[in-house]
Amino acid sequence: MTTLTLADALETVPAVRKRARRREVITAVVMLAPSLLFLAAFTYWPIIRSLIYGFYDVQLGSSAIFFVGWENYQRLWHDALFWQSLRNTVVYMVITVPTSIGLALLLAVALDRKLCGTGLYRSVFFYPVMVPSVAAGMVWVFLYAPGYGPINGLMEMLGLPKLEWLYDRQWALPAIIFMSIWKYAGYFMLILLAALQLVPRDLYEAARLDGVSGWRQLIHITVPLISPTLYFVVIIGVLHSYQIFDYVFVMTQGGPADATNVLTFYIYQNAFQFQDIGTASAIANILLLVVIGLIAIVALTLGRRVHYMGR
Amino acid sequence: MTAISLQGISKRYPDHVAVDRLDLDVQAGEFMVLVGPSGCGKSTTLRMIAGLEDISEGRLLIGGRDVTHAEPHERDIAMVFQSYALYPHMTVYMNMAFGLLRASKLTRSEVDQRVNEAASRLQITELLQRRPNELSGGQRQRVAIGRALVRKPKVFLFDEPLSNLDAKLRTHMRGELERLHAELGITIVYVTHDQVEAMTLGTRIAVMDRGHLRQVGAPMEVYRRPANRFVASFIGSPEMNFLPVSEDMAEGRAWLNHHYGAASLQPGTVLGLRPEELLISSVEVAAPWSWPGVVQRVERLGAEAYAQIRVGTADVLVRTEADAALEASKPVFLTPELSRLRVFDGQTGATLATRE
Amino acid sequence: MIGTRFFFARSRWMHWLLLPAMLLWLSPLAWMLVTSFKTRAEIFDPAAGVLPQVLQWGNYPAALAVAPFGTYLINSLMVTGGILIAQLTTITLAAYAFARLRFPGRDLLFGLFLLQVMFPIYATFLTNFITVRELGLLNSLWALMVPFIASGYGTFMLRQAFRQVPQDLADAARLDGCGHWATLWHVYLPLVKPTLIAFGMISVVTHWNDYMWPLLVTNSESVRTLPIGLGLLAKADSGADWPRLMAATMVVIAPLMLLFLIFQRRFVDSFMHAGLK
Repeated sequence: MTTLTLADALETVPAVRKRARRREVITAVVMLAPSLLFLAAFTYWPIIRSLIYGFYDVQLGSSAIFFVGWENYQRLWHDALFWQSLRNTVVYMVITVPTSIGLALLLAVALDRKLCGTGLYRSVFFYPVMVPSVAAGMVWVFLYAPGYGPINGLMEMLGLPKLEWLYDRQWALPAIIFMSIWKYAGYFMLILLAALQLVPRDLYEAARLDGVSGWRQLIHITVPLISPTLYFVVIIGVLHSYQIFDYVFVMTQGGPADATNVLTFYIYQNAFQFQDIGTASAIANILLLVVIGLIAIVALTLGRRVHYMGR
Repeated sequence: MTAISLQGISKRYPDHVAVDRLDLDVQAGEFMVLVGPSGCGKSTTLRMIAGLEDISEGRLLIGGRDVTHAEPHERDIAMVFQSYALYPHMTVYMNMAFGLLRASKLTRSEVDQRVNEAASRLQITELLQRRPNELSGGQRQRVAIGRALVRKPKVFLFDEPLSNLDAKLRTHMRGELERLHAELGITIVYVTHDQVEAMTLGTRIAVMDRGHLRQVGAPMEVYRRPANRFVASFIGSPEMNFLPVSEDMAEGRAWLNHHYGAASLQPGTVLGLRPEELLISSVEVAAPWSWPGVVQRVERLGAEAYAQIRVGTADVLVRTEADAALEASKPVFLTPELSRLRVFDGQTGATLATRE
Repeated sequence: MIGTRFFFARSRWMHWLLLPAMLLWLSPLAWMLVTSFKTRAEIFDPAAGVLPQVLQWGNYPAALAVAPFGTYLINSLMVTGGILIAQLTTITLAAYAFARLRFPGRDLLFGLFLLQVMFPIYATFLTNFITVRELGLLNSLWALMVPFIASGYGTFMLRQAFRQVPQDLADAARLDGCGHWATLWHVYLPLVKPTLIAFGMISVVTHWNDYMWPLLVTNSESVRTLPIGLGLLAKADSGADWPRLMAATMVVIAPLMLLFLIFQRRFVDSFMHAGLK
């Protein structure tokens, strides 16, 4: 005996399924709404606005904006300081990222052998990540202090000439680079360590039997097998190099003589010291391009040679 | 009373049809086993009954109610999953009580009563405060059953529940399931790919193949009188022997046509004989039929032996006594037990003639 | 035999490499600590040794007295906590939608979330500042939180975790009468606790130490956070009163460092597995 209702008779299966599907979509919309709202407002809208403002003359104080076309960019093209800061930024990225990662890799490989004290080493190399950049900056200002700073003290002890460091046009950026490496290598080291631990041990043993050891093992086995993670770390490294702003702001304020003026700092200067939002936006857009460009280069060179273990 | 009625149920995907216009009625108190090879659509059918898969076409009635569009928890069913699907972060008690607390109108104490009742029936009362990861496979199995029991549903759905257990436990649990069925008189729809489980557990079995229902019936019925070649080959282990009828089988045909009726034995048809329905002898036996063959292999299993015999171009498996005097290359004669013979259409596989 | 000896020797060689590196890494912290207990004169006197003559405990109260560090601490706590709670909410919802729901444009939208990882706050701080100003939120704790509430990174992490929950559990929950929201709350969330904790740690460390953005959008004592407070102190002293500055720095980094010391394994594990795709 079957009981039918009129509604059942009228309802077709496809119609019901469409209703159910629509309910699912509505649920999805509700769940995504908060994130999308904030993403739109604070990630994507600012970028669009920055692109727009690059073409306008905008002053920090007033709300009136004037369309100036490419003028901001043209001015930058002739601005020696802009090129200086661009150069500094690229130099910083190109030196810091590979060096940090190389060092991190060595440390990770060293710690991968389950030595006693691995936990301690890991924590020690990692702790600088926990220190706020402003605190780290200040400590290193002290360390680098020409007259009484411990680094110069050490130089003296080793018989090396004392340097002006942060006050020296030649050494200011290197000083910050060195500090950056200290600050972040530990983070890369952890990520690489995690990847290393996924490499099957038998591969190393097989290699030892084949007579491959030490450096060659590193180059021919380890690196290819963790290449996806390496690739990831390089990209993270490039993205994290934005942090230099904090160090520059606290340690050198762009000096001496703009030796450490980087694009992010120059943006700040233009926006909040010169009150010129338009130019600042233009620089920000260029910075974005530079970073995306670098990532694209990384993707096309390293990304191609990444080897994924049979997924 | 019909507990479940599947009427023209289909499940269509963009690129293939998983279940094609299935019609099946499950009577109240029945233990219906859906059996078939992987990909035949049995699990999909079960999930459609449960409401976990949308029904593309057709109607589903449970207890007389049309539940084609109803949510799973509105269908008065309970399901035991292959992986048990126990909530790892909840105690056994909560695993069993969760559904009742959420979706039914029972009071806390009624729920508590039901859980304890089911737990004692399944002998898992002392496990109620443990977590699933502290339990053995068999214990988890019982918790999964308990979770279904407490709902007191019209129908129990089982999705290959024994496949994760080792052989000994499987046999034990089969007995447990039979006992539960007998004691509680519950209606069960049970999916398995193991035809032994199907034969031993089901009051009726439904054999499926590539989305189609091939035959429904009591186990012995399906075993003795398969409706088509697929069912004949799927049910029964070792598999039935299939001998294509050829010209030079002329002598026996007359006899068979007489006893089995109508033009059943044309060339192009296929004879079906199970290993236990053939006799081996060393001399030619009188009419109507005796095929000459050569022994290929003999497997002695202790209580019985299986001999593989080449007849013409076909290999036939025959069951014989454990100590039969057979060895490879020995010439023998095979005689079919004519009362059991089946004839299948060579093209469609449909059964043309059976006896008994 | 030869192999094990070789391997053993290399292990010890590692220590020769690692110990000096470790000391190098610790030295800034050590110097910070040591300096905070010296007097001003000792800093500038080249004849004075590495260690302070007398432990100047007084430097600490002096440092704290200069600025309302108590307020700064409370603000840091509220902002970091607020961001964490908001993030956990948004990423849980979004990750579930991406992991278990079907809707048009799903992959495209997920791409938008992933893309956010590429645009750190520095790329947008300028125009975000303007947005915040337009919303009238300047100089408020809200301003410190809003840009971070949506986290593409967190959504990605959590989606991975959700996908690993077996579909059977979701089916069982459905049979038990759970809709999407109930399934999310009762089944999925309890099973991804480790991922939530890992993400939480990363978020807390990142936002506790935020400097740039808070600097831009705050102007008054009542809303400043610890890093800002420290920065101001540095400006004020201009390299003159190092011991007091170092003491203040020690105080500012103390909370996280202490947590780190206690939960070392947890922190390290969180950051380690953050990188795995």
